[in-house]
Amino acid sequence: MNPEKESCLVEVLDRLLNKGAVLNADLIISVAGIPLIGVTLKAMIAGMETMLEYGIMEDWDKSSRELYASQETHLPLFPGEQILYKAFGYLREDEGLIKCWVPGIWNITSHRVILWVKTPGKILFETPRENLRVLRVPASHEVRKELELIYPQGSRRISLSDRNEFEEALAGTAEERAAKKGSELLITG
Amino acid sequence: MVKEARYLYSVARTGHIAQLGSIGIQENNVYIVPYKDIAAIVHACEAKPYRTEDKKLAEGWVLEHSYVIDQAMKMFGTVLPFSFDVIIKGDDDVVKEWLCRDYENLARELLRMQGTAEYSIQIYCDYDYLEKLVLANNQELCDLKNRIEKESKGKAYLQRRNLELKLKSLTYSETGRLADQFCSEIKPLVKELKTAGRTSWTPEKYRDKKLLATYSCLVSDEAVKKLGEVLEEINGKEGFYVRFTGPWAPFSFVRLSEAG
Repeated sequence: MNPEKESCLVEVLDRLLNKGAVLNADLIISVAGIPLIGVTLKAMIAGMETMLEYGIMEDWDKSSRELYASQETHLPLFPGEQILYKAFGYLREDEGLIKCWVPGIWNITSHRVILWVKTPGKILFETPRENLRVLRVPASHEVRKELELIYPQGSRRISLSDRNEFEEALAGTAEERAAKKGSELLITG
Repeated sequence: MVKEARYLYSVARTGHIAQLGSIGIQENNVYIVPYKDIAAIVHACEAKPYRTEDKKLAEGWVLEHSYVIDQAMKMFGTVLPFSFDVIIKGDDDVVKEWLCRDYENLARELLRMQGTAEYSIQIYCDYDYLEKLVLANNQELCDLKNRIEKESKGKAYLQRRNLELKLKSLTYSETGRLADQFCSEIKPLVKELKTAGRTSWTPEKYRDKKLLATYSCLVSDEAVKKLGEVLEEINGKEGFYVRFTGPWAPFSFVRLSEAG
């Protein structure tokens, strides 16, 4: 039998909305690099607030930038601690009944790696930079680029739009720290 | 209206500047932005996503996007299709910069997809026919059925219920076994196979049938004929029906995130 070039609307919608290549679809904020916008049709019905809440940025307008910029000032830091890198991303929550990716802003500071959420304004995850290892893991989802943070007490799966940037940020500052303290941060690719 | 962004339809292998005409979403002019031997197929738009509360309008946009990909396939052969509403903020130079930055990834995917296309296979079965077949081939159930006919009314009811449940469970495992068998016949002929989720839509002529399996397959051009023959064989079995559609752009198989 020969294949038929026929498909119905439902199939076309399925292909175009659920499949196909995506560029950082719901991961917009990035420190450097090219900004990309992408939302799914599903997100169309969500309001601006909801989209910001869940990381589906609809635009690069002033208000959304300000909303994100304002988060920085709220993240409680130690005296002398500096934010070195900031990017939108997720943390895998495997404990409890609901297994999901929790969105937030990943911050690499001079002391810690932190996932910060604006509402209700809390640190969802933090670990000291000491003895932290990062492993790349195969993506369980087309869009997500996943990393495994391995620290002395355990490990957590995270995802970011740009793993390279995150790794570089960690490595870059690791060098400085190593120079300062003689401690070493191991990055594996 | 400032068109400081580019709506991305697909990436193709071509080094020449070309115009595809006003075939884009909302009749936008679609053109290509080349970098080395690859190119992005885009239209200029505002730096905001396409969104609307109007379902019909949104569906129209998706169909227009799909049409551009079809046209691009005709012009350039293999393309890497992008999802609806992927927009690059910036002008053609920024698109070029992205192509340059992601060149290795994109070129690798284009090479992997070269000479292939995605095909969709749905296998339906006539459930009643299959049930009869299962019953006929199972001595235990046949005996039970014969006994029921001789039983008193009340006892017969309970035993009939028992027979129905057993038959249903056996027929279900038979559908699973058949799906596995068909899959193993298809698999050697395709480069990649994905078992797709249930589609919410069934063509009219299969409405009274049961969907046994749905596969998305990445098939090389020369293997399509052989695959068609295998599917024809399945389609020829009594009680089985195959829907074979394509070729589509490799929507289910394009991977741009780096491996590992």
